Amino acid sequence: MTGVELILLLPLIVLSGAAVAVMLAIAVRRNYLAAFLLTLLGFVLTIMAVALSPGGPQRNVTALFVFDDFARFFIGLITGAGLFVAVLAFDYFRQQRGQFEEFFIMLLGATFGCAVLVASRHFASLFLGLEILSVSLYAMIAYSRDREISTEAGLKYLILAGVSAAFLVFGMALVYAQTGALEFSRMPYITASPDEPLDIIVLAGFGMIIVGIGFKLALVPFHLWTPDVYQGAPAPVTAFIATASKGAVFALLLRLFAQTDVAFYPPLYVTFVILAIASMLFGSWLALLQNNMKRILAYSSIAHLGFLLVAFMGRGHIQSTAAAFYLTAYFVTTLGAFGIVSLLSPGERDAEWIEDYRGLFWRRPFVAVVFSVMIFSLAGIPLTGGFVGKVLVILAGEQAAQWALVVVLVTASAISLFYYVRVVGIMYMPAEAGGADRPALPGLSLQGGGALACLTGLLVLLGVYPGPFLDLVRDMVTTVYAGVLPR
Amino acid sequence: MMLPVLILVPLIFGVGAYVAARVSVAAARWIALLSLAGNLGLSIYIWIAYFGPISLAGVTGPWVLEWDAPWIAPLGVHFHVGMDGLSLLLVVLTNLLGVLSVAASWTEIEERPGFFHLNLLWVVAGIVGVFLSLDLFLFYVFWELMLVPMYFLIAIWGHENRVYAAVKFFIFTQFSGLFMLLAIVGLYVLYGSQTGGTFEYANYIGAPIPRGIAMVLMLGFFVAFAVKLPVVPLHSWLPDAHTEAPTAGSVILAGLLLKTGAYGLIRFVVPLFPWAVADFRPAAMTLALIGILYGALAAYGQTDLKRLIAYTSISHMGLVLLGIFAWNSLALQGAVMLVLCHGLATGGLFIFAGALQERTKTRDIRVMGGLWSTVPRMSGATMVLALASLDLPGLGNFIGGFLVLLGTFRAYPVYAAGASLGLIVSTIYSLRIIQAVFHGEKTVDWKIADLHPREVAIMAVIIGALIWLGLYPQPALDTVQPSLNVMQQTPARGPAQTPVDATPGAP
Amino acid sequence: MPATVEIAVFWPFFVYFGCVIVLVAGMVGVSYVLGSRHWERATGAPFESGIVTTGSARVGVPANFYLVAMLFVIFDLESVFLFAWAAVVRQVGWTGYVGACVFIVMMAAALVYLWRVGALEGR
Repeated sequence: MTGVELILLLPLIVLSGAAVAVMLAIAVRRNYLAAFLLTLLGFVLTIMAVALSPGGPQRNVTALFVFDDFARFFIGLITGAGLFVAVLAFDYFRQQRGQFEEFFIMLLGATFGCAVLVASRHFASLFLGLEILSVSLYAMIAYSRDREISTEAGLKYLILAGVSAAFLVFGMALVYAQTGALEFSRMPYITASPDEPLDIIVLAGFGMIIVGIGFKLALVPFHLWTPDVYQGAPAPVTAFIATASKGAVFALLLRLFAQTDVAFYPPLYVTFVILAIASMLFGSWLALLQNNMKRILAYSSIAHLGFLLVAFMGRGHIQSTAAAFYLTAYFVTTLGAFGIVSLLSPGERDAEWIEDYRGLFWRRPFVAVVFSVMIFSLAGIPLTGGFVGKVLVILAGEQAAQWALVVVLVTASAISLFYYVRVVGIMYMPAEAGGADRPALPGLSLQGGGALACLTGLLVLLGVYPGPFLDLVRDMVTTVYAGVLPR
Repeated sequence: MMLPVLILVPLIFGVGAYVAARVSVAAARWIALLSLAGNLGLSIYIWIAYFGPISLAGVTGPWVLEWDAPWIAPLGVHFHVGMDGLSLLLVVLTNLLGVLSVAASWTEIEERPGFFHLNLLWVVAGIVGVFLSLDLFLFYVFWELMLVPMYFLIAIWGHENRVYAAVKFFIFTQFSGLFMLLAIVGLYVLYGSQTGGTFEYANYIGAPIPRGIAMVLMLGFFVAFAVKLPVVPLHSWLPDAHTEAPTAGSVILAGLLLKTGAYGLIRFVVPLFPWAVADFRPAAMTLALIGILYGALAAYGQTDLKRLIAYTSISHMGLVLLGIFAWNSLALQGAVMLVLCHGLATGGLFIFAGALQERTKTRDIRVMGGLWSTVPRMSGATMVLALASLDLPGLGNFIGGFLVLLGTFRAYPVYAAGASLGLIVSTIYSLRIIQAVFHGEKTVDWKIADLHPREVAIMAVIIGALIWLGLYPQPALDTVQPSLNVMQQTPARGPAQTPVDATPGAP
Repeated sequence: MPATVEIAVFWPFFVYFGCVIVLVAGMVGVSYVLGSRHWERATGAPFESGIVTTGSARVGVPANFYLVAMLFVIFDLESVFLFAWAAVVRQVGWTGYVGACVFIVMMAAALVYLWRVGALEGR
């Protein structure tokens, strides 16, 4: 292990160190604020470590990790998401009775797992990262122990994540059995020529890997856990699952299929097309039927992952750029949306019913405007990052001649308008007189309001002046293709 | 530099009005009024200074004024705005109606006036942006942007059924807009590389698009504009939105938003896809004919005053669609005139309906009647507007309608004959407004005030403009003619666009 | 590998698979056919040598049991990794040594934490 490798590894070291530090701090003296501040420090130091680490393509550290610009970008993105979730969770749990210091250890652990995922170039590190993430998430989802729904969600996630991990491992084993490789870069071309059909065992292996990954990404038909877990988990945790957890797995998928061409053999390709179409349509459709904000956002996130897959369905730089940009906009938007749910939640329950938002604009204009911007971004209205992302995805899809997928995308977006507009509409309705029995909304803390303002600013910046960021993303994704030899 | 200012002024002063409303409501109203008046002054100044015959002589190319700045460099998106005669006239109309709608809602809007004026000014900014954009991406951004504040205008300050109407409006326009986005990106993906990877509108004119693809892309654009215009099977959002919107919202909707559809057809659909349009012409003209007759008949059946006026818009816009698809000089001039005059006349009618509703708290014409003696000034003004709407010679609408029919008749006599039937029905529904509201028995003995000086001034401006356009339309026609000429120069049909029987452009 | 060759090579597996299916189906099926079925009052009751059961069978296991199990997992099973290190201690050299040290420090930190939050009290 050389000095350079240590510096490259620094983000991971800082993250795991921060988790241990918070744990020891709790051992020394249990203090909620101290645990929170230490966590923030850990995240900030991680981001600094990412910023300071040398960039470029192919920065391999052992056979397990690679810290190229792609990994650095996503570690930064995920750590940023972790930072926001920490701020949200601080306000969220402060209103509840109980001990919540350990939550921050879990959060750091889960972020660490995500970081491992996006930096992995080997099936072993992939699995390790995924399990670190999952184990932390089990506890985080069930963290509101006195709420039955939270415990139930935790249990559901535990069982289904266990099953999906089994699929994943079995798939890896099959691929290893046939190719003899665990590193992504050692299996760039599975068959001698692209016309040759894929070996049945490799096909089964990758099929099972898709099942495992599809579960984490909540693609239809592996999405069944999503609405229940989103609804049951504490709102900040939901924000984390919807962003960091999904984003890390998607980044991994991008890397895996940038470095191997296996996704572009007909059986797997068709599978992805079906997954994308099903996710877009079912996600949008089922969200129509919900009255619960967290479930609406859950189904909408399923649809958005379908949109992302449209960008993914072409193995080119435009497609990867579109996917990475869309993912970033989705991160910001989803963090903001769940952030509002979280910040508006009074101590006894989450502000999850759509009726809780009636007349929000007249009571809390700032929050309502922020929420509107988030919803408009999800719906892809101009001057938000979501719009630029959607244009890029459509562009990527049309460039790859995926006309059917693009038409489905537009149809699904149109369906999704119904519930997005519904949510916005209810915020601007007059607050009813009968709203007295609803719990009073908690006041917005300085850090909570600051976080929301930050996210909104970021989102509008991505929508109004995306040029520089787009350049950055474009340069960043080229590194993930580095080292892949042309056939 | 003047063009971005035209867009920025309402944007910035909209925020200003919102902030000012916290201190004083009157200040917010004055800020909104004066900023739009300033914008109107600027656009009229541009008209006089840059569009006179002498200044035009020095202009090369279609754009009299142009402003270009790179925006999203990696995609080749530019903030490229330009103005020719067509956009100038529409920008003047936009600002004029903007001023009038601020004035018309002076006393109507009591609730959240700051946010109201913010939305109103932003709609105006979006519409001006639509009329000025020369970059397809930028155009789409403005196209979508004007929806959101309009949605709020209807959903917050509208009447009884406002949320339903607002949602319907938003979903119709957004959904159709997505098809336009598909078509824009499709153009960019397929032909962008040949034109330097930009969304620049001018670069795509004459692109060698094969026939089938051109038809698909053209339909993408057409659907978006047809929903806005509206063309009949896609019109069902319009009566709801117009009826439920507050006065200013109805004025903007009928006077301006519908016009963006017509503008899009003239500016984008026909020049970009001349051959697909030629193939599509019979269908479009049939739809136009259906719209003219259906709108007029449906208007006759309404009892809600604002709904009645809304249906007349559908009828008139059918005539505009007919003129655009006839695509010869006369018909196009007529379509543009009709767009301008319909904006004024219908805007005026909605202001009248709003004023009446503010006083009587109802829009049901069955409980009105015999109001002439009670409100003589309002009655007189409304009669002029109603007469304009039935194409009485001497008012601007007549010029427009007549030119459209004349131009269409030369090429497509059957359609023109059908469309003139609509004129007869329009006489019936226009006179019915007068008859039901101002004449006849007094069903309810209304004690209401006549038009205030503020409202008299609004009506005077509208009627003055209508009479001017009716008696001396030449300045407007001269302004718009060069840009129409440019757009009519369709490129020759390439080998890829195998002709069947259609002739280029107009026969 | 063409499908026919695969079958030629792997045929014993298929035979074995078939045998297992037949055997299991036979065991279940034969006992279904030959077995006696009767529905008496006490058929569903658990067999406790003729003594009637009292109380519920759902006995709550004290949570301390889980605690012990968890502590066992953390501190006994995880030390397995040290055996793996011991097997290759020369090959991995100082890097491995540092890695093992980090591992032990983390375990120690976890121990401190558990001790301080009172997990070792056994209550």
